[in-house]
Amino acid sequence: MSRMEVYSPEGLRMDGRRWNELRQFSCQTNTHPNASDGSSYVRQGNTVVLCLVKGPMDTNRATSTTRASADGPVLNINVSYPPFAGIERKKRSKNERRLSELSIVLERCFLKTIVLKNYARTVIEVNLTILSFDGGLLAACCNSITLALIDAGISLYDYVSAVSVGIYSETALLDLNSLEESDLSFVTVGVVGDSDKLNLIMCEDRLPLDKLERLINLGIQGCHQLRKLMNDTVKEVGVELLSKRQ
Amino acid sequence: MGLDYNISNNEQQFVLDALKENTRLDGRKLLDMRNVEIQIFPDEYGHVDVKLGKTEVACKISASIEQPYKDRPFEGLFQINTEISPMCSPFFEVSQGASGGTSSRQTSEEILISRMIEKSVRRSNALDLENLCLVAGSKCWSVRADLHFLNYDGNFIDASCIAVMTALLHFKRPDVEVSGDDIVVFDTKQRDPVPLSILHIPLCVTFNFYNPNGDEENIKGESNGELIVVDTNLIEERLSLGSMTITLNKNQEVCQLLKSGGLNIDASLIMNCCTYAAKIVSQLTDQIHRVLKEDEHKRINPTEQKELQTVNSREAS
Amino acid sequence: MSNIISITRPSVKQAKDEDSDDMDIDEELNLNDAKAKEIQDIVVPGELITDDPSWMRGHGTYYLGEKTYSAVAGVILRVNKLLSVIPFKGRYNPETGDHVVGRIVDVTNKRWKVDVGAEHDAVLMLGAVNLPGGVLRRKSETDELQMRSFLKEGDLLNAEVQSVFHDGSAALHTRSLRYGKLRNGIFVSIPSNLIIRAKNYAHDLPGGVSVIFGVNGYCWLYKTKLDNSPGVGPKSSLERKFEAGVKMDAANSAFSPGMGSDAPNKLEEKASWDIYSDKNDSISATTKETISRYRNSLLALSNFNVAVNETRLAKAYEISLGYGDVSELVKSDIQKSIAEDLINDEKMRG
Repeated sequence: MSRMEVYSPEGLRMDGRRWNELRQFSCQTNTHPNASDGSSYVRQGNTVVLCLVKGPMDTNRATSTTRASADGPVLNINVSYPPFAGIERKKRSKNERRLSELSIVLERCFLKTIVLKNYARTVIEVNLTILSFDGGLLAACCNSITLALIDAGISLYDYVSAVSVGIYSETALLDLNSLEESDLSFVTVGVVGDSDKLNLIMCEDRLPLDKLERLINLGIQGCHQLRKLMNDTVKEVGVELLSKRQ
Repeated sequence: MGLDYNISNNEQQFVLDALKENTRLDGRKLLDMRNVEIQIFPDEYGHVDVKLGKTEVACKISASIEQPYKDRPFEGLFQINTEISPMCSPFFEVSQGASGGTSSRQTSEEILISRMIEKSVRRSNALDLENLCLVAGSKCWSVRADLHFLNYDGNFIDASCIAVMTALLHFKRPDVEVSGDDIVVFDTKQRDPVPLSILHIPLCVTFNFYNPNGDEENIKGESNGELIVVDTNLIEERLSLGSMTITLNKNQEVCQLLKSGGLNIDASLIMNCCTYAAKIVSQLTDQIHRVLKEDEHKRINPTEQKELQTVNSREAS
Repeated sequence: MSNIISITRPSVKQAKDEDSDDMDIDEELNLNDAKAKEIQDIVVPGELITDDPSWMRGHGTYYLGEKTYSAVAGVILRVNKLLSVIPFKGRYNPETGDHVVGRIVDVTNKRWKVDVGAEHDAVLMLGAVNLPGGVLRRKSETDELQMRSFLKEGDLLNAEVQSVFHDGSAALHTRSLRYGKLRNGIFVSIPSNLIIRAKNYAHDLPGGVSVIFGVNGYCWLYKTKLDNSPGVGPKSSLERKFEAGVKMDAANSAFSPGMGSDAPNKLEEKASWDIYSDKNDSISATTKETISRYRNSLLALSNFNVAVNETRLAKAYEISLGYGDVSELVKSDIQKSIAEDLINDEKMRG
């Protein structure tokens, strides 16, 4: 297979998007009402993530031993990456470093977003399952956790929305798929609400410092867009619930 | 976490009030690094001890000849081994699995520290792995960096990164001669050992964030009351409401950047941090080079050095 | 930076809306009006509710300076000057006086831990239960030792919330013969916000089945008790027993469980032990089937987010009879039509 062009001179990417286009985004909440307190299903292009939230509940009910904290909830995030999720079928060990790092990063992201004082001495368990992976893993996980926490009725200060942004010579590209991710340096940016404040920023590749600002700017805009999409879904679901309850 | 480090409310208030007035417990300004002491052990190559205030990290590089990974026949092996023992601080427990094996008891902090160093040094290709290849697919050098955490007073990441990079720059492997499938390894006395090929020097700078008005302020508030502190010590690190670690090299390239959670920080402020970090990194890089040069000088003129040693004078008497 | 273009999946909503257009147009308009009002009141986390500092901030909100924001996705509730947001979903929040159904999860020092579906497990103190031998009997050390013979892990009970601690966890009591261990039926859990608040949560339904709607969303469907049977019964027997309990209290300092005797207080004691019996009465196959039908009807309503009370459940049961066998009721489409039929039926009646 000949090497595909990441960004053609006409301004089109491998999958036909322009530089500032998000992938198709769709989300659902309350997908697993019986198995969890809150659940969500997020699809960003071909990356599909399922998130189940259990809790807040008593610490002795948690699956792993947890010490209760008087200041706020203990947040346990567990990411599972089944063998079929990637392009190659590959079994990953449960405590692969990359995954444990991912869950720690996510834990820290959301701990300060939850209104802590409401949930002293409780555990909130978050189980993420990556159903299909095509880039933007951290971003999709962030978005799905946000939705699932909202669905669970847990008090949050605001939405956390995240997106990945890559750089191709001088052009910043929004929301990379896995092919682009493997070719380009990219940054994942997470924003709280509709502010310009970053909750999360993660970069694992080499990247010229002077390009960083451009990436962050594009990322913030993308996050706001995603927040709007998630917001619409949450409201839609709310209206539907209300109409039936009476 | 073995123990929790408890800080009384008054103490917390004191530290935060001091920070608000741009002073810290040890008299530094908010954006001052502690003094970095790099000590190279004279008897060996690649054995370095770095002190950042009371934080102390030692790094030892070793190399052996092994078989490369099947999917990467032209690359050598490079492994960074970090294990935080209770020796440095009672907050850390003995982790069961040595050498990279993640045991369930490893705390999130330990995992983050080791991943951070891994990403900064290994993933950013600081060490040229192709240079370590001897016979494609069958023999290559395997370089291993062992990090020992000797004392904990905050900011392990920055200190370890300096230690690993200095040690890698200092390390020399024995010279080898390859003829066909045979490899002859020469003793360091027979032939001068060869330094590793280092492509760039990534160094970490960690920023910690505080907000004296409480962390809710940063979520919606317009005011930017947050304080940014570089190179925190233990108490400051415990009190911080979030941190960001950026790894840069002297060429102004970001090798790794992570801020997860904590206070929400304005993008422009983050950019300021990055530019400031670039400044620190270039100073540190210069310092590392200076130390290495001094060491080399000492090794070339061993007599000069010997006269300075106390062991010598005792033998003489 | 120019704006971001996003691609979303074309929504299927359109088709649905067209379907409903076939219905009465006037009604649709009314619905839309109501909807518009509701949308106004729906807030999401981080949304500004008001910047008027005179409001008191209640649950589901947070504030910074003078601005009050929502912390959950839900509906704004204004009571006098108190502003709170009721989330669409969420765990049960115990309040004093709530009638709940719970499951014992732990037996510890002088107390049982009870799962009531709240954020924290509720506690049921040994002193807050009726023990065999009458209401006023003192709890002895022997009682502490044999707590498991009264209630053990996994047992279901209904109880009232006696008080709520500052962290939101509840203390329960079963000091009434309406409360206690649950037998002769099955447990159904539905979201707690689907329980319509009422005066009374225990009801007899047609078909010889009774239901207890726990305010926490845990429900119990069981064979209706005959009036003369002991244990959890209607009020008349409760009063009777209360008197009896007082009478025999003095004589009963050391009780011996299950001793058969014809003396009236011994009979009472035997009856009280039955409260904690693990044995079900014999239940006929038809009653069992009726119970299952009620269960499936209840689940049908909850799956389609219809709030329930006893009249709705009875109605749903009635409707479900038109859908054939009990086993048919687990199918999603049938559940949906039961829920829709129920709502339409109510609309017709007004």
